[in-house]
Amino acid sequence: MSGLIPLTSRELIRWYRNPVSLITGLIQPFFWIALFGSALGRFPTIFLQGAPNYITYIIGGVLSITSVFTAMFSGVNIIFDRRLGPLGRYLSSPIRRSSIVFSKIFSSTLRILVQVAILIFAAMILPNGLRFENGFSLFDSAVLITAVVLLALIFSSLFSIIAIRVTRMETIFGILNLVNLPLIFVSYAMFPPGIMAGWINSIAKYNPVSWSSEAIRTVIINGTLTGSQLANVGLWLLYLTILAASLIILTYVISERGIRD
Amino acid sequence: MESIITTENLTKIYRGSIKAVDSLTVQIRKGEVYGILGPNGAGKTTFIGMLTTRVTPTSGRATVAGLDILKESLKVRKRIGVVPQDLTTDEDLTGYENLKLVSRFYDITANEANRRIDQLLNMVQLQKHSHRRVKTYSGGMRKRLELIVGLVNDPEILFLDEPTLGLDVNTRMQMWEYIRDLRKRLDVTIILTSHYLEEIDALADRVSIMDNGKILVTDTPSNLKNSMKEDYITITFASPDDLKLGEKFFSNNEKRFSGINTLRVKVPNSDETMPDLINYFSSHSVKITRITIQKPTLDEVFLEYTGRSLRDEERGDARKSMFTIGRLRR
Repeated sequence: MSGLIPLTSRELIRWYRNPVSLITGLIQPFFWIALFGSALGRFPTIFLQGAPNYITYIIGGVLSITSVFTAMFSGVNIIFDRRLGPLGRYLSSPIRRSSIVFSKIFSSTLRILVQVAILIFAAMILPNGLRFENGFSLFDSAVLITAVVLLALIFSSLFSIIAIRVTRMETIFGILNLVNLPLIFVSYAMFPPGIMAGWINSIAKYNPVSWSSEAIRTVIINGTLTGSQLANVGLWLLYLTILAASLIILTYVISERGIRD
Repeated sequence: MESIITTENLTKIYRGSIKAVDSLTVQIRKGEVYGILGPNGAGKTTFIGMLTTRVTPTSGRATVAGLDILKESLKVRKRIGVVPQDLTTDEDLTGYENLKLVSRFYDITANEANRRIDQLLNMVQLQKHSHRRVKTYSGGMRKRLELIVGLVNDPEILFLDEPTLGLDVNTRMQMWEYIRDLRKRLDVTIILTSHYLEEIDALADRVSIMDNGKILVTDTPSNLKNSMKEDYITITFASPDDLKLGEKFFSNNEKRFSGINTLRVKVPNSDETMPDLINYFSSHSVKITRITIQKPTLDEVFLEYTGRSLRDEERGDARKSMFTIGRLRR
């Protein structure tokens, strides 16, 4: 896929040149941790599935949400290339059309990993912050990274497909605004299933944000997993993998068939 | 002469009814500057879009450098250079980085790319500014960069879609110089669309006049203008007697008096009339103080074929130009 490497490096140069986007991308999740974490500091630990405090409980959710947001916006980014002109150049160059889209998907995944590292560090230095009471193994970090990356691939692909098919900026931002709250609150990202209304719970089960949040949460709280925990984490990652793979294939097919100018 | 682009009934219909390009059959010759003149909305950009494989035709066929635009689109894109109407460079990258990025889309080695980028930057005098970010460029600099981005892959055919839209007159003439220069130095066929009469006149070897998706006529600008057969000769005579004497030469022409001792005459071809006129005036001792020859512009040609003047269109599209200027200045 010629074009993928040069276009990905273009995205990374732009990111590096606009540190503001990195900072603003971090402010919101940091607020989640700091504000939610302290506001709900007295959250009854009985609901926290064994986490020593609320920040340790929600960090998996915050990392997942950060991944979703960054991924959604970078998927949608293609509309700016269309509006500002570079897309026209790429479309008349001898590169695969899918490489235009995948450069955004891959570069956003890299950016998300940097954001995740910074957020974990921030959560650890906060008072009454993130604590790995049962240790954090190489396997645990592999689970964390896999979950975050798969979630990023899912949402950047999904929103790339939308941005390929929908050329009106207003429509796309409408969709973004419509989905972001339900994605967070109809999931296990911030709140334990135990305190949720039944109907929300039954939808939240199928939210990929829940799968990722729960997988990360399980490894952070428990360190070494029991057999049944391992099975659950495996299942969540499997769901994420299947969804990510299907969306990536769909993105490939749709972008090759024609990006509308 | 060898054709480098041929189209056969090439048609693009948008949303089932709007015929943007209506059954075009054209042949573009290797090495020429082929101009397409027409108002906004004539279908020029859609036509170029199909030839550059960006827009899929509704029907008809076309080959570019001997390659089918539908079946071999990737190969076509390797051999052409495109300078679209819109700005395509990335403002957050430097001029050099933009060129380098595009060069990596083609099968050229890094050394070859660097050599070429240097040559191109020199050609449009951007060498000094190549390591500045594009967002700091002036409108003219940005357009010059756009021009050479389309040349990075050493294309056989270069498509220039309204290359000077939104530029002021001085910058526009400067662009023309660059375009003439690159044509001299590089072995490239140029397809140029414009709705500026002077631009086509200054640059094109042959021009097609396009309106409502159709090509109405194709010829060299001078043949088209000569075919109008309406040159105007304006003569100011030294005295009323000279005027009376001189007037006799034009007994069969449409003429009118305009100002003191001044006659304005319409002749089919001033190039042929002038030698006779000079002989007549000298043999009859007619004294004149001033003589002006006015040849038809492409606007008269456009008017002849479409019933409208392109000058009016130019005024009408001020808003669009303002928009582009706004973007250039940003």
